[in-house]
Amino acid sequence: MTPANGSTGPAAPEVPPDRATGGVAGPAGPGGSDRLPDSTRDASAKKDYSEYGVAVLLLALGIWAIVDAVGLADASTARGPIGPKTVPIAVGLLLVAMAILLVIDVARGGRGEQEGGEDVDLSHGSDWRTIGLLAGAFAANALLIERVGWPLSGAILFFGTTYALGSRSYIRNVIISVIMSVGTWYLFYAGLGIKLPAGLLKGIL
Amino acid sequence: MPIVVGYIPSPAGHAALTTAIAEARLRGSRLVVVNASRGDALVDRRHSSAEDWQSVRDQLGESGVEHEVLQQVEAKDPADQILEVAQQTNAELIVVGLRRRTPVGKLIMGSQAQQILLDADCPVLAVKADPS
Amino acid sequence: MDGINSLIEGFATALTPINLLYAFLGVLLGTAIGVLPGIGPAMTIALLLPLTYTLEPTQAFIMFAGIYYGGMYGGSTTSILLNTPGESASVITAIEGNLMAKKGRGAAALATAAIGSFIAGTIGTLGLALLAPVIVDLAVQMGAPDYFAVMVLAFVAVTTVLGSSKIRGFASLGIGLLIGTIGIDPTAGQQRLTLGIPELADGIDVVVVAVGLFAVGEALWVAAHLRRSSLDIVHVDGARMTRDDWRRSWKPWLRGTAIGFPFGAIPAGGAEIPTFLSYATEKKLAKNPEDFGKGAIEGVAGPEATNNASAAGGLVPLLTLGIPTTATAAVMLGAFQGYGIQPGPRLLDTQPELVWGLIASLFIGNAILLGLNLPLATVWARLLRIPRPYLYAGILFFASIGAYAANNSTFDLWLLLIIGVLGFFMRRYGLPIVPAIIGIILGPVAEEQMRRALQISDGELSGLYNTAFSQIVYVIIALLLVGPPIARLVRNRRGGKGTGSGPDAGHDALAGAHAHANAEGV
Repeated sequence: MTPANGSTGPAAPEVPPDRATGGVAGPAGPGGSDRLPDSTRDASAKKDYSEYGVAVLLLALGIWAIVDAVGLADASTARGPIGPKTVPIAVGLLLVAMAILLVIDVARGGRGEQEGGEDVDLSHGSDWRTIGLLAGAFAANALLIERVGWPLSGAILFFGTTYALGSRSYIRNVIISVIMSVGTWYLFYAGLGIKLPAGLLKGIL
Repeated sequence: MPIVVGYIPSPAGHAALTTAIAEARLRGSRLVVVNASRGDALVDRRHSSAEDWQSVRDQLGESGVEHEVLQQVEAKDPADQILEVAQQTNAELIVVGLRRRTPVGKLIMGSQAQQILLDADCPVLAVKADPS
Repeated sequence: MDGINSLIEGFATALTPINLLYAFLGVLLGTAIGVLPGIGPAMTIALLLPLTYTLEPTQAFIMFAGIYYGGMYGGSTTSILLNTPGESASVITAIEGNLMAKKGRGAAALATAAIGSFIAGTIGTLGLALLAPVIVDLAVQMGAPDYFAVMVLAFVAVTTVLGSSKIRGFASLGIGLLIGTIGIDPTAGQQRLTLGIPELADGIDVVVVAVGLFAVGEALWVAAHLRRSSLDIVHVDGARMTRDDWRRSWKPWLRGTAIGFPFGAIPAGGAEIPTFLSYATEKKLAKNPEDFGKGAIEGVAGPEATNNASAAGGLVPLLTLGIPTTATAAVMLGAFQGYGIQPGPRLLDTQPELVWGLIASLFIGNAILLGLNLPLATVWARLLRIPRPYLYAGILFFASIGAYAANNSTFDLWLLLIIGVLGFFMRRYGLPIVPAIIGIILGPVAEEQMRRALQISDGELSGLYNTAFSQIVYVIIALLLVGPPIARLVRNRRGGKGTGSGPDAGHDALAGAHAHANAEGV
């Protein structure tokens, strides 16, 4: 149970400031959450090996670009040293260089600054459960859109997202989801001539 | 065993607070005032503003009743938060404000008061807004 | 003058009922998303890119530009009433604006913001109208090497100015350039980076990429860290200014416009830096500087004029040279590409109805915005009651429609998810989004210019810098790259940490604004 904040006695001291942040959104994720301060210069932060992951990604992308480019046949229209290979190789080199510099920066204690925002509370780790549910709702739509049609898959997407983000008014959400998906189907078809798949409701719409 | 009152800055909420103070005085119990919201929206009508909350505390202070104020924003329905506080403090009574809702309104929008009425372990006193 | 004639013709285009409708829709939508934090003009235009499949370019761009301008109006409402910026460009407005509101002067704050935005928007658009033909006349003399140099400048500027870590900025740019390279090579027709997947042969659709980075990435990120909070909203009764308020506001409005417009026009200028400058300027020039920090109207008037002027300024390089200076401009450039239109100096000649109709429509849009925001600011604030789950559900919802509609294929939806996840990790590890989107959209264009320059010079590398203009640009680029580190070295050697507090304090305020800038993608 999350503790209530701001309890006071008769002579009430300061109420929590305007941005009252209560508990975490949903249960905290399993052991893998990152507890990272958002300062870039906090050299005393715990060793965060995941930052190296970024460098690994950059390295992989860079190598991919270079390897792919080298495999290209030489174009006959190329004049001089520049051809279709140039930009991918240059970009690849840039990525590899940045990967190396990043490793040095992270080793020295540099950290990427997590992006802040009004809706974002960075004091806790990432809520993997919510992300997972969100990605799941999205994937459900991707899988189902051509099989059962947008009016259904879109409604599932919308409902799934509201559920993932914590809304518990199920009936209200189902109604809104259906209105949204059917409504947008009509809107896009009648207004823009874009035909989203009708799927199971083919005859009706 | 305290009395827990669910407060929101609305006529029903004010009525609930006033009634709760009277009850507390009558029973000689402590009062726990809870202003709970989900925090889903940046601007929430259930959330008592700093100014409003101060006037609540003033009202409580003047009443002379022993009290405690809680303002919380959590990923739970306000009803659940209030029920939780009632359980934690072993409340003898919950007081909530009630406003008229059509059956369809309740279905679509839900009713926090109804949820408290149904799920509470202790007696619940439902107060309507003062018609004046 | 030729410009004025074209502008008058532009009004003829803009005043048709259907274009008026799109202008109205655009500014309406723009105000709404300006009010709502977490959603910005860049994300919104990206989500609306599917409209370009069926709308005429003129209609679509009238609407997009309306959204761009409207966002600047709406953002101030949230800043003033809620002490939280609706747009990154409104961060500074919140400082004095909210204080004014808390003191009961909210009506004046809202009024000065709206009127200042109108004046700045109008003057800025006028500047756009007058400058565009002039710049275009100069720009036709630019050759491929000059263009390429300016584009490299755009890349470097956006990477070095935004964000605190240049390494990560360049990494982000690299990722963007990489994604932009996926597809068929324009000159020789070879498949690059497509992994043999046929759907990737045409490259990744700009809709998918823009929506993935801005909308899906943002939604995933917010989902991971959803802040549960309720802010106190100040209740304000309409918007009104006293004579004294007018007296105190009109000069900051004009100064703000003068500061914002040029900054909007240079690469990576954006709106955060000039609004900060405007605030500092007003504070210095104020007759009652002690009001600052307690609710000084100049501190609202100046920055609000600045951010609207910078939006107008941002359109100058976009429409005349095809260079985007902000993420929103980059997405609009993507929309142009979607239509097969290449913005540049020739745009004014090949598509005069589009450009002048657009500019004329901006004047109209500004007027509509004044009417929408001045009396109705508190009504707009009601939008803030929408619970965030619905907002983000809506974002993902429309994102999916857009991605699917691009090619009627689920492949694009999966691609969208992958790019969204990429966007998530970029936000997690401090890789700024703006360089990536500019890399994606401008990269292929830059490559083409480079190839052209080298073909002209017959393969000689000097072909890239054999004009005076390009040489000057490269010098500027070099300064941008080596200047700050050298300056820091000199400063550290001279005074150590003690004397570094001045610039750093300013830097912290900017850093906060940058965080928002990345989120909103202005």
